[in-house]
Amino acid sequence: MTPPEDRSCSHCRLPIGLRAMQRTLDGEARAFCCYGCCIAFQVKIGRPEESNAAWLLIRLGVGAFLSMNVMLISLLLYVDDFSGADAAMLPWIHLLLWLFATPALVILGAPYVRETWAHAMEGRVTSSALVVIGVAAAYAYSIFASFEPGGQVYFDTATMVLMLFTVGNYLEAAGRARAVRDLEPLLAAENESATVLEGEQETRRPVRDIRAGMLIRVRPGERIPVDGVIVEGQSHTDEAVITGESRQVAKSAGHAVIAGSINLDGPLLIQSSGPGTATRWAQICRSVRDALSRRSPTQRLADRVVGISVPLVLILSGLTIVYWGQSLTFDRALLVGLAVLVVACPCAVGLAAPMATSLGIGRLARSGCLVRDPGALEALAGTRLIAFDKTGTLTSGRSRLAGIESEGASHDEALARAAGLERHSEHGLARAILDSAAARGLEPVMTRDVRSLPGCGIRGMVDGQPVAAGNSTLMKELGWPLGPALSQRARVLEASGHSVIYVGWADGVHAVLSLDDVALPEARSTIEALRGLGLHVALLTGDLAHAALRVGAVAGIEDIRPSLSPEAKRAALDRYRQDYEAVAMVGDGLNDGPALAIADVGIAVGSATDLARETAALVLPSGGLWMLPWVISVARMVRRTILTNLMWAFGYNLVALTLAVLGLLQPVLAAAIMASSSILLVVNSLRLSRLPDPVPAPVPGRPQSAEPGSVRSAAGVPLMAGPAIESG
Amino acid sequence: MIYYLVIFAAGFAGSFHCIGMCGGFACALGRDPRGAAATAERHLLYNVGRLTTYCFLGALAGALGQVVSSAHSMAVPPLTGSLDAAQRILAIVAGLLMIAMALQFFGLFHGFHRAAIGFGGSTLAMSLRRLLAARSRAAPVAFGVFNGFLPCPLVYAFVAQAGSTAAPLPGFLVMLAFGLGTFPAMLMMGGVGRLLAPAWRQRGVWLAGACILLLGLVTLGRGVLPFAAHDVHAGHAEHASGGGEPG
Repeated sequence: MTPPEDRSCSHCRLPIGLRAMQRTLDGEARAFCCYGCCIAFQVKIGRPEESNAAWLLIRLGVGAFLSMNVMLISLLLYVDDFSGADAAMLPWIHLLLWLFATPALVILGAPYVRETWAHAMEGRVTSSALVVIGVAAAYAYSIFASFEPGGQVYFDTATMVLMLFTVGNYLEAAGRARAVRDLEPLLAAENESATVLEGEQETRRPVRDIRAGMLIRVRPGERIPVDGVIVEGQSHTDEAVITGESRQVAKSAGHAVIAGSINLDGPLLIQSSGPGTATRWAQICRSVRDALSRRSPTQRLADRVVGISVPLVLILSGLTIVYWGQSLTFDRALLVGLAVLVVACPCAVGLAAPMATSLGIGRLARSGCLVRDPGALEALAGTRLIAFDKTGTLTSGRSRLAGIESEGASHDEALARAAGLERHSEHGLARAILDSAAARGLEPVMTRDVRSLPGCGIRGMVDGQPVAAGNSTLMKELGWPLGPALSQRARVLEASGHSVIYVGWADGVHAVLSLDDVALPEARSTIEALRGLGLHVALLTGDLAHAALRVGAVAGIEDIRPSLSPEAKRAALDRYRQDYEAVAMVGDGLNDGPALAIADVGIAVGSATDLARETAALVLPSGGLWMLPWVISVARMVRRTILTNLMWAFGYNLVALTLAVLGLLQPVLAAAIMASSSILLVVNSLRLSRLPDPVPAPVPGRPQSAEPGSVRSAAGVPLMAGPAIESG
Repeated sequence: MIYYLVIFAAGFAGSFHCIGMCGGFACALGRDPRGAAATAERHLLYNVGRLTTYCFLGALAGALGQVVSSAHSMAVPPLTGSLDAAQRILAIVAGLLMIAMALQFFGLFHGFHRAAIGFGGSTLAMSLRRLLAARSRAAPVAFGVFNGFLPCPLVYAFVAQAGSTAAPLPGFLVMLAFGLGTFPAMLMMGGVGRLLAPAWRQRGVWLAGACILLLGLVTLGRGVLPFAAHDVHAGHAEHASGGGEPG
């Protein structure tokens, strides 16, 4: 295992706040955000043969045993079951209580005392100090009271407060661990081990030791640890974490597999194609871990509140004792002050934001959406405008054949000849032509002596005749005439932002192929869904007005700003911000880095860049544009949960504090309230992990949408259907 | 006194139910390598831990009942004296709860049980597994204490009963009686283990269900019927004849 992240809790992965606990377990330094996590971690992780975890539980159990006995006897004392003739028994009963309570306090209180001491050494007062002071006061007073005739003892208060705090912490931590279960696979990437096959021998090795070319065996149900190619075996994989694709993908020998995907049903032998730490999965893991240890603005505010509230509570409690001391006996006043101390413990406030945020991050990560900054989720929830970049975001970023104009030859012949040439080319437009020919079932014409002419096109020979595809310059060089009708069409197409390829053979230009970058099929439904969420949608692009307008019309965007330089994009975003406060920018992460960085929330779709250098705060998987409305709903849900959590925590604290100051709350009841408030908060936040999976929005009027999976995985390529070409 | 004896009997019968789950734990606790005395000590400690939890829950429920019906803060001895309205409501609620639990023993109302075993249950179960592996002498106590908190309809039923007594002392005594009732079977489990045939266990479960149903009806009756005290004694008579049937 790698050394733990120094800023997030080893157990629940929440950022460690001011309440950090440092422990050395199994020879490794661990940090915990609270005592509860410390217990829960050891219970969960500790190996059975190690008595550490069991020892903690034994202490908890014995502590409970003792304090329950104390409480039992005290309950009977309170209702005066030992009055009258039995009163002579009282001193003995007090002694018995003292005998039970003392070990209970030592067992249960030691961690709190240690924590308080450690913090005091650093000059800080934290909530554990409240518990320690309160419990110590009740205990000390009770000892004195035992010697006095007619004195009331409060051993039960002391032990039960401690007990409830400890159990509350433990349960809360257990709940939180459940909360980050979603994140487990994402946090484990580098610690994961892989079964490496060397000769006949299988060894388990950490993923970070995997090099390219190693053979790795992956059993069904296991996570594929590295990128690679299947050498042997057949299976289905679930790649949701990486691609957002929730369908199962069939894989057999020769297929590539992605690190992080789950091997579902068959054993696989994989040849690694690169070092284990260079996979996207490993990058995602580092990024998630990074995000979790960062604090959102809300969290920072909450931490500050917690920080100043502890001394305030101490003062308030002192004042309460002084005030009530005037009208009540000292022990009653002390009890009221103790209730104030216990109930004002601001544990829940500190938990409100990180709990909800990490659940949100986990939920999104499970579907392949990566949050790099927890603050981004909150900002996204408050966003009222979403600006899109065009190329590669609303469009596939890959050109497709939009139309064919031909003269003296059929469309198919022109396309087949063009395909025959372009199969030798690596130009971006070549792919579009080949795909289109394949979609129409055309066999590329066999072409010899193919030569690529950079900046002009490509030429070759078919059956002794020259054939060429390229721009008008190439055609002029070859001296091939262009018919007036064709030349007119080509001019119109060029003016409207299409890329145009002339195809000629024998002695003239016979066809004009127009290519463009069209909106993704899911663009329209996505934009509609975003509008449905009350967002204003804008298109900011560096492309020409014609192309932008066409894409805008297809996607249903009215607010279009074309021909923007990167600086102009930033300026436009700034202007929008005046009207819409928070703005989000969606781009492909390649050309629009500055714009993504300046927006309140930068969202990259299918970012191809190194995640570490990514400027976007939120990264959707490639082809994941359709997820955007869902992501925004999740972000809003997270913010709502944070707000309800905070309202709950503050409200609860304020009401309980008022009751306590007024002397209406028993300290034991106060402790129970405090413990349950944190647990309620955890339960409230846990609803986030049960959010439904994103559902691909229907694409109205398009038959392709009948099979949602293909729309996503396709990224536009097989969508070059015939009708589009004929209409163009 | 007879009241507590009935509860003891119910606990005894009910402990055949315990053998299913807690009995497994008792078996798992197993024999101590240090000898028979150490084994006995282990199981005694375990059961004392369990009993403590039960008693605590009982006293707490009783105190809670008292708070609820504290219009008259005097502790009303169970089954005698006049019952005020709040205590009647308490009795009705407790009675209904017990009846619901009892029906569960006959295979009805399973959702209720599932609802009880939730988030807390699994954490508890995990903790219990940890403790089983521990070698410490104090472990059985802790194990028993946690065991007592395991979601169990039998315990809930009697806690409800304890709550209806509306005072800590009788509440404590109810659970003490119940807990002691479960002692023989649970202690036996440590020794003779799985000798008991499943058929017998099933009969025991039914018997326990019948007991709880009866107690539930009696408790409900205390809340509903105007002459509560008489009704209870009638209930005892019924129990004596009804108890023999399933066994």
